Amino acid sequence: MTQENISRRPQGRPPEGDSRLTRTEAQLRGPFLLFFVSAVIWLLAASVLGVIAALQQGSLAGGPFRDCEILTYGHVAAAQHNLFVYGWGFNAFFALNLWLLSQLGRFELRNGWLATLGGAVWNLALTYGIVQIFAGNQNGFGLLEFPREVGPVLAVAFLLAGFWPIVAFARRPTGHTFASQWFVVGASFAFPLTYLLAQLLILWQPASGVVQAIAHSWFVSNLLLLWFGASALAAVYYFLPKVLGRTISAYYLAPVGFWTFFLFASWTGPASLIGGPVPLWVQSLGVVAGAMLMIPVIITAINFHGTLSSEGGWARAWNDTTLRFVSFGAVAFTLFGALNAVFGFRGYNAVVRFTSFSAGQEQLLTYAFSTMVLFGAAYFVLPRLTGSLWPSAKLVHVHFWATALGAVASSVALLVGGWENGKHLADATVSFQQVAKAGSTWAYVLSVAAVLLLVGHVAFALNAFGMILKSSAPASAGRHD
Amino acid sequence: MKNLNTLLAGIFLAVALPFGALVISSQVQLGSLGRAPAEEGGPLFPSREPGLAIQGRAVYVSLGCVSCHTQQVRPAGQGSDIARGYGVRASVARDYVQQKPVLLGERRIGPDLANYGARAKDLGAVHTAIQHEGRFAFLYAGAKQEVASERAVALAAYLQSLRQDYSSPEAKLKQ
Repeated sequence: MTQENISRRPQGRPPEGDSRLTRTEAQLRGPFLLFFVSAVIWLLAASVLGVIAALQQGSLAGGPFRDCEILTYGHVAAAQHNLFVYGWGFNAFFALNLWLLSQLGRFELRNGWLATLGGAVWNLALTYGIVQIFAGNQNGFGLLEFPREVGPVLAVAFLLAGFWPIVAFARRPTGHTFASQWFVVGASFAFPLTYLLAQLLILWQPASGVVQAIAHSWFVSNLLLLWFGASALAAVYYFLPKVLGRTISAYYLAPVGFWTFFLFASWTGPASLIGGPVPLWVQSLGVVAGAMLMIPVIITAINFHGTLSSEGGWARAWNDTTLRFVSFGAVAFTLFGALNAVFGFRGYNAVVRFTSFSAGQEQLLTYAFSTMVLFGAAYFVLPRLTGSLWPSAKLVHVHFWATALGAVASSVALLVGGWENGKHLADATVSFQQVAKAGSTWAYVLSVAAVLLLVGHVAFALNAFGMILKSSAPASAGRHD
Repeated sequence: MKNLNTLLAGIFLAVALPFGALVISSQVQLGSLGRAPAEEGGPLFPSREPGLAIQGRAVYVSLGCVSCHTQQVRPAGQGSDIARGYGVRASVARDYVQQKPVLLGERRIGPDLANYGARAKDLGAVHTAIQHEGRFAFLYAGAKQEVASERAVALAAYLQSLRQDYSSPEAKLKQ
């Protein structure tokens, strides 16, 4: 990292006022829109299932979904989780990562059809997997529920759809690199490796006994931190300086942040097995790694919040749609890292283990952080690629408030509800039924949050699809506000 | 940072080292674990699973029971698992050597099932529990849901086979 590099902000787009798409953007428009549109469709499907799952857990436990085999909670919860992660999270980051590295590396995507093919295969395999889950053909491992034949297809589709950022990095004309590029290259390389190894040791050649559970915990932590986390961090590193028009504070720390993040993230998995029938040294490694992960969390906090704090950055962020979402996400990531370190320790972990707390941590990472950053990015990128404006400012407001409130409410309900639940459970004299009854308020909050998220997503989809349909001709100046 | 090969090599190590250290080392440590007698010459535990129980596990997996039920008992001092009667001792790796797949679970929306077979009173109680107050009535037929389907029979056999109430070399029962 040279001094020269620090002062150089990411560029790749001609100055505002240029009325045409750059060649870079024109070429990735097709694949980008395919990924983006399918991502939003999956997000809508996942939010509908999210409402159903929340209602099943709470007020409608014995309601209209009782005695319906297809919609039994075990099916709905698994389908919702997979749709959100593989449908929304992957498609959306395929789009964003490709766009980011094309911009930063002035990369012209000549073989766009390969990416399109990859996207099509990915979505077909995903559809097949979801249908199989509802048909009762699932595996017992979270986020590996798809029947095992889906795994290799998804891996190949990933290589076709998600590997382009690495090509863009290799072909960049300048020697300089920027933090976003490292994180995206890391995410695009780490995921296929993780996915193939996990498939092999869990589904195709299962390791013996509880080693399956250890491999699974390693897989989940890699998926969440190294795909969602790293990709979303890349986006924050890009959009903060880009929209604010200033350099990242203490940018010289960013390489340390990057390497420590990748160094420790992959070790944190077994922290989710504390107290389980796995060797103690494995559990301890997970706990230590979770605490060490505070290093990159603090560094990104200095980078992001430092940048936002100087010269009225927060006020400007609030008034810019993209930054409003992105800075919301940046705060959520810091919170996630702190909770992750603290609740890895045995005393606290023993309380929240097996409650909704870990789902709350995942919600913070994948929704309050990654998804909000993705929304912010969409408000920046889409107008440029489609050449039109967002049809409705009202819908933008509905989108922000519904998703922000929904994200806060669902995270709080899962985290605080999980903590309370754990406190009750720790007292063996309180029966399981009493514990469940005490948690019914939080189940109610969760249902309301799920509805809020659905409302926000519908508003976003209406706006985005309206804009894409309106722009048959990719012309006119790109604006993002 | 500027060199793609260095970057990729670093990322590869960052992913592969934990895989080797956590997953492969555990396989080396636990891979040869088998059934063992509590005392010399005694019967081997965990017992062989009846065929019906193996079919029942497939039903358990297919219905996604694992999203609400765990199958692991934490040691005393970490949570109230033993005090709650989920088990008489903590679960150990050897308890799972026959299970394919291992369904440890992550969330307790319902109670833990690691030792369910030992605490269920009789087959009738198991079927009552499976019905979840009517939510899983599709597994039963008849006017009063009194006729169990093949799947329900297998599932009940599986649940009854879940026992961790024997002494094993790693976890002796207190006399």
